[in-house]
Amino acid sequence: MSEELRVSPIETRGVAGKRRFAMVVDTRRCIGCMACQVACKAEYDTPLGVNRTWVPYKVVGKYPNVKRQFLPRLCNHCDDAPCVRNCPVEATFKVEDGGFILQRYERCIGCRSCMAACPYNARFMLPSHRTYTPITNVVDKCTFCFHRVTQNLVPACVQTCIGRSRVFGDINDPKSEVSYLVANNATQVLRPEEGTKPHVFYIGADRNATEFGRDAYHKPEVMEPERSAFKRNFKI
Amino acid sequence: MGEYVWFHDVSWHASYAIYFFVIGICAGLSFLSYGSWLTPALRPLREKAAYGSFVLLALGGLLLIADLSQPLRFFNVLNPAYLSFTSPLAWGSLNIAAFGVASVLYVLALNKGDEARGRLLATVTALLALGLPVYTGYDLAVHQSRPVWNTPIMPVLFVALAVASGSAVGSLLAGANEAAQKVLHQYMLWSTAAVGVMLVSILGTTHYGGSASELTFMIMTTGTMGLIFVGAGILAGTAAPVALLLAPMGRQQNGLMLSALLILVGSAALRYALLMGPQQLQTLY
Repeated sequence: MSEELRVSPIETRGVAGKRRFAMVVDTRRCIGCMACQVACKAEYDTPLGVNRTWVPYKVVGKYPNVKRQFLPRLCNHCDDAPCVRNCPVEATFKVEDGGFILQRYERCIGCRSCMAACPYNARFMLPSHRTYTPITNVVDKCTFCFHRVTQNLVPACVQTCIGRSRVFGDINDPKSEVSYLVANNATQVLRPEEGTKPHVFYIGADRNATEFGRDAYHKPEVMEPERSAFKRNFKI
Repeated sequence: MGEYVWFHDVSWHASYAIYFFVIGICAGLSFLSYGSWLTPALRPLREKAAYGSFVLLALGGLLLIADLSQPLRFFNVLNPAYLSFTSPLAWGSLNIAAFGVASVLYVLALNKGDEARGRLLATVTALLALGLPVYTGYDLAVHQSRPVWNTPIMPVLFVALAVASGSAVGSLLAGANEAAQKVLHQYMLWSTAAVGVMLVSILGTTHYGGSASELTFMIMTTGTMGLIFVGAGILAGTAAPVALLLAPMGRQQNGLMLSALLILVGSAALRYALLMGPQQLQTLY
């Protein structure tokens, strides 16, 4: 990473002496088993209706040559994160060493400004009732498994990924696997036009999967019952 | 089934649109009360507008706090150790608090009949009131990923909406006072026309934008959202009152009352559509 790429003083990618964690998702290796989603749910007791990571898919091609195109999603731990800028009480902050975007639950007022600011829908409101965890009614998101990474473990979703589709590491370390993958493959990030400098890189994700689909407006009829059921039951 | 989409909830719900509406009228009434010190025709509205503004501020404040998922932590926003000045919400909360203090002092000065202090406080209150629609518009405008919201014109639009809806309420309060109605006629006409011009500008740029903008344009101009935005907001709430105010009937009391009601319905619909419409597309991303 050349120093010239940096346009904002808060960016930590390419800064000598600082770690900058990133995830590479090789969509060619993703089989859509959703084990990452389950591992994340188990790690954090994420309630029903919300997810820190999720795996949407699209069916592409024409019968009989069709395939499901998976696009695992999570917080992009942006270098220039709009959620950090928009939080009025600094409940959302960036960890200088590592670039994690984290949430101070005890400080969050629940104004949802960060949710509105996130171009990736990575944030969600925790419901008022949870079975095991007392943290409720505040905004939550993926933490890149900060508690595991600081213990020299990889995030739960990476640990469980059966196809090694998800790879995690320090992109500032030229010897790391993520640096190698980013340097040697054509990678994509989600919504680069927003200038957020996301740190989840995709290999093999095409525009079909990463952009707003026309289906957002011309929704397939089959989606409507699901959407209305979701709206009916999603009371937080 | 072609795809599996994870449904997301919208960030800000309709209660926030009600807050926008209430706080807009609150600011508009504050402008009118200040205007009464400069324009003698508005003198009968001075106290009514000041009290109305104060009551609506209390209501808006309660709505804003109730909309938080942690209402008791509202004081975090006023804690200097926590405050983040990169967020428009932080500026907004300071603005509301300062406006609240100035409003109380202004109402007290009006009650005492203290003319000199009243005039000064009216100026301070009106300046702080200007910050209310500016910050609410800016609150939306900073979200770089949202079509329609992310335009520098949004704070100006909210100021125009505040003047229009405040003048409409002022017109309803002024009743048969012809001198006041004559001034309010001009306020309503020009502010509503300004709203119309800005809406055309926003619609035009949204329609010519990228895929997200184009889809948002389609969401906002068709179906139920289209009925609210185009039907109630633009046609019934902006174009119709402007036409009515330009016609001879619009200078009579009944025409003015009807225009005022249409403006209020329109400004409520516009705030709802401007808040909710641009969030719909994101729920499917």
